Amino acid sequence: MHRRGGVGLAAFDRQEQSNRSFAQLSSALSQSQVEHLHSQLNQFRTALARFASTHRESIKSDPSFRLAFQQMCSSIGVDPLAGPRKGGWWAEMLGMGDWQYELGVQIVDVCVSTRERNGGLIEMTELVRLVSKLRGVSGGTITEDDVMRSIKTLEPLGAGYQVVNVGGRKMVRSVVKELDEDQSAVLAVAQQEGGRIVEDILVQRKGWTRERARAALENMVYRDGLCWLDDQDEVYGRAYWVPSAMQWDV
Amino acid sequence: MSLSTHTTQSGFLLPSIHSAPPFFTQQPNLATQSILTEQWTRLILAYARYRRLFILRIEDAETTGNEWDEVLRNERINRRILPSHLSHILASMVATNVAAYEPAKQTRTVLLYWRLPEEWAEVLHNWATSTAQLNTILTFYDITDPPIESELSGIPLIGVADGEGVRIFAGGR
Repeated sequence: MHRRGGVGLAAFDRQEQSNRSFAQLSSALSQSQVEHLHSQLNQFRTALARFASTHRESIKSDPSFRLAFQQMCSSIGVDPLAGPRKGGWWAEMLGMGDWQYELGVQIVDVCVSTRERNGGLIEMTELVRLVSKLRGVSGGTITEDDVMRSIKTLEPLGAGYQVVNVGGRKMVRSVVKELDEDQSAVLAVAQQEGGRIVEDILVQRKGWTRERARAALENMVYRDGLCWLDDQDEVYGRAYWVPSAMQWDV
Repeated sequence: MSLSTHTTQSGFLLPSIHSAPPFFTQQPNLATQSILTEQWTRLILAYARYRRLFILRIEDAETTGNEWDEVLRNERINRRILPSHLSHILASMVATNVAAYEPAKQTRTVLLYWRLPEEWAEVLHNWATSTAQLNTILTFYDITDPPIESELSGIPLIGVADGEGVRIFAGGR
């Protein structure tokens, strides 16, 4: 009978020796792999650094370039917006994290300063307009997409910033408040009407009963502060205005 | 509908909220009303300062053709502030010390402090210094109607009998 390790006490020694050499070989192999990865990573890093340094300005100023860049990043599984802590060198190198935070701060600024007149709900286009105004011409153009991304970076703060869809329009909500179905409907109609809304419009367009329309509107006035009352309306005497659906110049 | 600022005939720039119809209605929601009150307060003081108006009366909201028309009404959207609403705003202004009922013990007329009394004192002292009238005895008439118009021209005199005067001393040592 032939056994690979042979027989007798010497077999133990032999087996141990071969185990050792296997282990050596494997560690040598994995080390070379690690080295290889390291060099690849280094290469990637250099390439990225070059890319970032040559295109940094375009990334910051050109919205379509930025979008393409962000798509590229997501396809290779890198998040350029990850904060300095999460993203490490990546965010640092691009300065993208800072850029996004800066935008986030401006978004909060606009949301908070308009909150008293819109009850914490602002239309996306209006938000983009006001943030752009705040940034001035030198800040470069920003898009809804950028705002959406920035709002995502605000999430860990737990401030309740959220993009909600109201009647096919995006609105940014800066207060933790659930909109019920009727309120969403009222907001949607108010947007079509430039902010003004009366019971009759809801009755005609939505087929609501007058009581339902009144309850929804009164709730928005009394409970949520999302509506302002106008008791000098020429036609109905009593009209409701949704400040977040009105376009403010200042 | 876009709400924009508007320049009145007198050249005052009205804020965009002045062209929002609900701005002229007293809001049943107290939180909302406090926002409006704040906006109204700011507007009234800015306008008073711009036109050098010292007195605001509830009557100004009841009648037309007075110096407050441009602010208390908005003909472009056919809205006006109602006297009861104005009265509420004045009460809040008195409570926050930017106005005072004048005379006291009534609530229909206020004296507007678009400068605080301390600031007026500063203005008065600066004026006296710059016109070299420190230590001089001045009548109130000298102050309110100086030959060269000053920041104090036309300031209303409260509780002053005829012929009284003041002497402004140089500030401490």
